[in-house]
Amino acid sequence: MNQTLENPAQQIWQTQPVEGTKMSAEAIRLRAGKFERRIMRRNLRELIASVIVTIAFGYFCIAAPNALWRTTWGLFIAGTVWVMFQLRRKGTPRTMPEDIGAATSVGFFRSELERQRDLVKNVWPWYLAPLVPGYIALNLAWVLAPLRPTPWTTILALDLFFAAIFLGVWKLNQRAARCLQRSIDELARAESEQR
Amino acid sequence: MDAIENTASEIEVRIAEASDASGQDALYEDAAKSYGPALERLGRAYEADPELRRDLLQEIHVALWRSLAKFDHRCSLRTWIYRVAHNVGASHIASQRRTKLQTLVDLEELENLPDTNAGSHNADRSHALDRLLNLIQRLKPLDRHVILSYLEGLDAASIAEITGLSPGNVATKIHRIKNVLARQFQQGETK
Repeated sequence: MNQTLENPAQQIWQTQPVEGTKMSAEAIRLRAGKFERRIMRRNLRELIASVIVTIAFGYFCIAAPNALWRTTWGLFIAGTVWVMFQLRRKGTPRTMPEDIGAATSVGFFRSELERQRDLVKNVWPWYLAPLVPGYIALNLAWVLAPLRPTPWTTILALDLFFAAIFLGVWKLNQRAARCLQRSIDELARAESEQR
Repeated sequence: MDAIENTASEIEVRIAEASDASGQDALYEDAAKSYGPALERLGRAYEADPELRRDLLQEIHVALWRSLAKFDHRCSLRTWIYRVAHNVGASHIASQRRTKLQTLVDLEELENLPDTNAGSHNADRSHALDRLLNLIQRLKPLDRHVILSYLEGLDAASIAEITGLSPGNVATKIHRIKNVLARQFQQGETK
């Protein structure tokens, strides 16, 4: 049932001019196809980026002087491919689910926020950790280089630099996760109020 | 408003007849014809930028068309359409910068904020609409759903069905909405 227009704001709202945007079912199909193509193009860009990284690291791998360096670059390739795969899996802009009309506003918005929270909260296992084995192997390769071992001070400076980047990325994502969690908690409170 | 409800009933009859893709298309076209203006108004409340708004509106229409294949009569068609529109709108807000989500306020905070329009009220309709939009776009998604549904003329029970909030909670929110709107508009209209 609808209410009578008891409030002047309702009158203002409902009588506002509209452009009368219309979409035929055919136009809808075209638009839906356009979205799918956008996703495909994004996936293709990511695939090309991962192929370029793989080729570059692959070249270093082939040209490496010993097994330790080959292992290092091999681990970097595996880590990068894993990160790319996860980025595609988790970050893909999704089409709206077909049963979107069955979900209440609270339920739908909460699931959207939870999805984003899980993505940023668990950034360590899927985004940062896969690169660590390669980096550890790189450290070993520097230290154990038979002819010209890299000085400890240089290695330490590089380690501190990369550790700071990792920590920064992790901290930023944890902060974003906390913000999202606050919004989720607010929704939960609103849902439970006066039940 | 009765006309909309009658149209909704006619559309529901067509749903029963629609069992294939062309039925889905026909159902969508009927729904878009009846609720198109409402969807446009909702799109305006979720995105201020005209270009982005056009994209959002198209996204709402696409989501509505796709969703009608799954419409199962567990709720009214009107509830279904409003849920689709609001959920796409909320998703649009959530996909924007996360910090932006944090800058939005809820109805309680809005009720306690000073009236920034005091002294500048006038009866010009477009100005009043701008003020109303400005007020709506400051709200968090859930409260935005409630105020938009109220402005569209839905009653508390319908709003509760769309949002998933209890009718009591919706009634409290509507009370707050009326306070805010009274301060923003009724006072201004009488000046």
